[in-house]
Amino acid sequence: MKIIIDGKRIELDDKKTILEAARENGISIPSLCDHQRLSPFAGCRLCIVQIKGRKGYPPSCSTYAEDGMEVKTKTPSLQRLRREILELILSEHPNACLICTEKENCDEFKSTIRKVGETTGCVLCPNNGHCELQDVVDALKVDKVRFPSVYRELEIKKEDPFFDRNYNLCILCGRCVRVCHEVRGASTLSFTYRGSQAVVGTVLDRPHLESGCQFCGACVDVCPTGALSERALKYESLADDTAATICPLCSMGCKLEVESKDGRILSSRPAPEGGVNRGQVCVKGRFMIKNLVHSPRRILKPMIRKDKELEEVTWDEALDFVACRLKKYKGKEVALVASSQVTCEDNFILQKFSRAALRTENIASPVSVSPLSTYRELVQEQGLKAGLNFRIEDISKANVLFLSGADLPVSHPIVWLEVLKAVKAGAKLVVASPQELSLNRYASVWLRNKPGTEVALFSYLSKAFLESEEDGGHSRVEGFGSFKKSLDKLDFSQVAQTTGVPKEKFMQTAELLLEGETSAFLFGAGLTQNPWGAQNLAALHNLALLKSGRLYPLGLENNLRGAFEMNNGHSDKGLSIDQVFRAVHSGSIKALYLAGPLPDLQKAKIEFLVIQGSFMNDNMEKADAVLPAATFAETDGTFVNVEGRIQKFQKVIGLSGEAQPDWWITSRLAKKMGHEGFGYKNQAAVMKEISRDIPGFSKISNTKLDNDDEVFVHEEVKGKEKFIPFKPVLAPEETGQKYPLLMSVDYNLDYYRNLALTQESKGLRMIRDSRWIKISPEDAKRLKLNDGDTVVVDSVSGKTQGRVRISGALPKGVVGANFLWNEDSDFSLVPLSFSSSFKNHILNIIPVKIKRGK
Amino acid sequence: MAEKVLTQHFGLKNVYQIDEYIKQGGYEAVKKALKLKPEEILEEMKKANLRGRGGAGFPAGVKWGFVPKVDKPKYLCVNADEGEPGTFKDRYIMSHNPHMLLEGIIITSYCVGIHSAYIYIRGEYEAVALRLEEAISEAYDKGYLGKNILNSGFDLDVSVHRGAGAYICGEETALLESLEGKRGNPRLKPPFPASVGLFQCPTVINNVETLSNIPQIILNGADWFTGKGLPKDGGTRIFGVSGMVEKPGIYELPIGTNLKDIINKHAGGMKQGKKLKAVIPGGMSAPVLKADEIDIPMDFDSLVNAESMLGSAAIIVIDTGTSMLDVLKAVTKFYSHESCGLCTPCRIGTSWINKIVKRMAEGKGSKKDIDDIVRLASNILGKTLCPLGDAAAMPILSIAKKFRKELESRL
Ligand SMILES: Cc1cc2nc3c(=O)[nH]c(=O)nc-3n(C[C@H](O)[C@H](O)[C@H](O)COP(=O)(O)O)c2cc1C
Ligand code: SF4
Ligand code: SF4
Ligand code: SF4
Ligand code: SF4
Ligand code: SF4
Ligand code: FES
Repeated sequence: MKIIIDGKRIELDDKKTILEAARENGISIPSLCDHQRLSPFAGCRLCIVQIKGRKGYPPSCSTYAEDGMEVKTKTPSLQRLRREILELILSEHPNACLICTEKENCDEFKSTIRKVGETTGCVLCPNNGHCELQDVVDALKVDKVRFPSVYRELEIKKEDPFFDRNYNLCILCGRCVRVCHEVRGASTLSFTYRGSQAVVGTVLDRPHLESGCQFCGACVDVCPTGALSERALKYESLADDTAATICPLCSMGCKLEVESKDGRILSSRPAPEGGVNRGQVCVKGRFMIKNLVHSPRRILKPMIRKDKELEEVTWDEALDFVACRLKKYKGKEVALVASSQVTCEDNFILQKFSRAALRTENIASPVSVSPLSTYRELVQEQGLKAGLNFRIEDISKANVLFLSGADLPVSHPIVWLEVLKAVKAGAKLVVASPQELSLNRYASVWLRNKPGTEVALFSYLSKAFLESEEDGGHSRVEGFGSFKKSLDKLDFSQVAQTTGVPKEKFMQTAELLLEGETSAFLFGAGLTQNPWGAQNLAALHNLALLKSGRLYPLGLENNLRGAFEMNNGHSDKGLSIDQVFRAVHSGSIKALYLAGPLPDLQKAKIEFLVIQGSFMNDNMEKADAVLPAATFAETDGTFVNVEGRIQKFQKVIGLSGEAQPDWWITSRLAKKMGHEGFGYKNQAAVMKEISRDIPGFSKISNTKLDNDDEVFVHEEVKGKEKFIPFKPVLAPEETGQKYPLLMSVDYNLDYYRNLALTQESKGLRMIRDSRWIKISPEDAKRLKLNDGDTVVVDSVSGKTQGRVRISGALPKGVVGANFLWNEDSDFSLVPLSFSSSFKNHILNIIPVKIKRGK
Repeated sequence: MAEKVLTQHFGLKNVYQIDEYIKQGGYEAVKKALKLKPEEILEEMKKANLRGRGGAGFPAGVKWGFVPKVDKPKYLCVNADEGEPGTFKDRYIMSHNPHMLLEGIIITSYCVGIHSAYIYIRGEYEAVALRLEEAISEAYDKGYLGKNILNSGFDLDVSVHRGAGAYICGEETALLESLEGKRGNPRLKPPFPASVGLFQCPTVINNVETLSNIPQIILNGADWFTGKGLPKDGGTRIFGVSGMVEKPGIYELPIGTNLKDIINKHAGGMKQGKKLKAVIPGGMSAPVLKADEIDIPMDFDSLVNAESMLGSAAIIVIDTGTSMLDVLKAVTKFYSHESCGLCTPCRIGTSWINKIVKRMAEGKGSKKDIDDIVRLASNILGKTLCPLGDAAAMPILSIAKKFRKELESRL
């Protein structure tokens, strides 16, 4: 297709608007409401053009190029019209500074502190200096407004966390409304009222907190004016440096753009292009980075305990002290806890250090309790053909999506956006979850199973699928016979009683699965983080195999996959993280090197504790040495995200205090302990060794990582297709007389290393208060409990105390709680969820009883 | 007097009830249509060239022909929003003769392959909505709606949806949004509703009066229809006359009837002692005609030639005792209130025009104000997202041009 814009011949391959075509060819057309990621809106009317043979002034942002079109973008009449339209916009906007004749000389005021609440002109506006309205005014050279200026006197909304909304500055471009609806699926914002009263807002003008907002900041990022502005930036001057990095706060590994000034981070935003996230992030990547990097809890100096007090010392002294003490322990007496939130390089060195210097296989980390491990184990045991790598965009191509064990908008925000994209394109979503999730409104079927009945649920689904299907030709596949036989034993008349889900829902789901061509089965930690996790997975695997669908294991922590690859092959030899926790309490472990998460150690019986971390927490009271580790923002390194994508990143600011990268600390320590082979000059040197030693990184070089966004962990997907034998109905832990309620524990990812993010940010606390024991309205009524009441929760393994919140999302008989590695001392699930009878499992379904506490 | 089509039963008692309606020959058209092939009906409709009575005058048959043959549900939306000031014809049709509309709905749906139809009715028409619902339930009982209508194998469900009082929801795409449960914002076109309409599916949208013509076209044929009115603009229209006439009300007359005759003969002429000053011939959105411009046939093309429009055929008669500034004030207040606010020229433009006119009415205007109004309205005309902008600009421009002297005299 050929078109001509302003005399320039342009060749186009695919469907594009005139505005896009012009932009790509260096022709600028003033525009305000258009945004490249959003659907055309055509509201501002600045982008009007003239097209030969057509009358009027069509907007170029919503008019698609057609072969042979001749377009003019800058005729005098167009420019005049644009100026008049812009004048209209400015008549309702604080325009004093925009048309001020002195504005060229006003530059030095651009960093004026904006203490005044009302923005009466650019100099008092948080958007000053990067405002698209200013740009358009400059481009169209508007220097007068022939209308008296109207200040709309709308109340400035400040009740929500993270950003302010000043609709007096709003030009009603609708970008925020569209991004929230089209991309985020939250639909928090809408146009309200009409005519000159029209304004953007929430339903019934409630705060965002009560309007389903995810606080992803996408609306703030697309707003062309200062109407939506990040509160923390209000009093900041403009940045002097912008650098890219990878968000360390979940397994998505979003590409971030971090702005800083004088070595201090001002803000973090999604990088506009590239990365897994393509311009989107979640609340953590958007609003937490600065808080955590510059947290007052940062440990900035090495410390060792002298005369019962921790004292700041030099690195040499600290390392000498630790080296000397650690040498006394080896093998089963010592353990190291690693984090899945540090880089691959850090993890590699931690592993090497443990084996060489600590002479132990007790290298524990959350990796062993993750869905990746359960899945990999199953694959290996059964000799299946299944890999861990995938591409996030494959998810949006599926026609049916089956989700269990993850609350995606919170746990895997970017995966959720892909699912949403699929659903908007007509895909069907089936959600299996005892609790009502916010994403359920996009689901075609919600299977509200009783907690812990997933095996039965998936088996009945397989049975329903086989009954609806004509002939799937499954008998060719190994194991089908016995799988079919075990399904035959299932009786549909019992299904509702066993799973809590009526038969129709099974048939409905089977039908959707049959109709959809490609399917994706997504599962998270909720499915695997319990003793029968492998059974759950086997049942899900079989269901997916019937449909030739793909399983997508969704790990939680940022570099879980990287850490998983780094301890490849060694994972099972030593103690698991829950066993380490018990062992430090029973006294069988005498020395602990804590470079990862572990709950409160106040009662641990331990001789020597080293903490290598970035933030102070209660465990420090017990520590003999504290080694300050740099955060991701101050280091170079690589993270592997949920897809298996290896992402290299560079530091965005210099080191804080005397903190050093983890690999640096541990390799120095190893040297001090007299070990060879730890003389790394930099992170790249570690990576070189990784690519030599770690199979998944065997074809990876530093140069490749530097130049390619699309590097994946090397994996050989070999094996066969096979139905896995399993017992179809595994009785879940029955709730008995003694423990009549089921506690369902979700994993909470709101932490970075040893910092609970909710501790650091009041905003996050407001939106994700996880320190509650959630209870259904029915149970609350029966137990005569009100919001905020203190209760004692009792289980076979132990008891804990906490406060109650009544939640309509829970069914009767189910209690909800969140597990956080960095628990604070007022509320801990550890006594309940670290059950002594299992290795590698932190219980997530626990029969309990609840009574009022004091 | 000419034969009545749409209002033929209006004098009869109880014709809104199905038994009485059937006694008068009702539902014969449906019976006949269901025996025809859908293509035959479409052919006949194209020949009849029935032009849309909602305002734009687009031929119904052609519109139906745009519906693609895809494997998706298709919908019919009946535009009963009747928001155009001065217009009240659809209300008469629906309350006097709801079954005629239902017949039109059934035939249209059968022709296009539609199995669900929605009547989007103006929120204020509560009694009318109830009457429609009653008529629908009667039709279900008699087997004219529901599954396997008259054993033809054709299924159709009809339901009534009440609007919430926004003029913009009469605009077809805003109507669709509203029907989907969203805020009634107009959509961008293309795609047109015929291909991407309600719930993203092909959708036909027609006005109440348009659809009510269909049974008689089926019974009597396209030639009979074009024989009434004009060859390219056939049939009758229900002219709703309001203002300073002796007998305001609805008059069903052949298309092309002279405006002068409608006012002077049918509506009984000007009220005693009143003198004609101006006429708005097609609802408030239509540019005004001066007293010396009313010798004109009332059809789509003639009014376009006179730089006005037939629109909803609502005739508002203005006498010399009425100030055109007051008329202008009413017009600008209405449109600035009803602008949905999505696009700049209409949202802020109508709001400024309204403010300026208000000031003029308070006696604080200046000559420049009229220039400003003309400039603002010209910047709206043809430059907005949906046709409401034009609907606002056209009457304003015509008043400012044709009655400039009078307006200036009020400064
Ligand atoms: C602002 C606006 C308001 C409208 N209101 C109505 C209305 O109340 N009733 C109506 O039938 N058509 C109305 N229309 C016209 C419809 O958009 C549409 O053209 C009509 O329903 C099509 O039906 P027809 O082809 O049978 O006339 C309106 C159009 C605009 C732009
Ligand atoms: S939004 Fe832009 S134009 Fe408006 S006051 Fe702020 S900086 Fe100035
Ligand atoms: S922060 Fe995100 S979810 Fe909340 S309103 Fe903005 S775009 Fe929507
Ligand atoms: S708040 Fe910002 S993004 Fe939203 S409509 Fe107003 S100017 Fe546009
Ligand atoms: S989705 Fe995950 S990686 Fe992306 S910004 Fe949020 S926490 Fe960071
Ligand atoms: S012209 Fe624009 S502002 Fe006016 S009603 Fe249509 S879309 Fe809304
Ligand atoms: S950018 Fe096209 S109308 Fe706003």
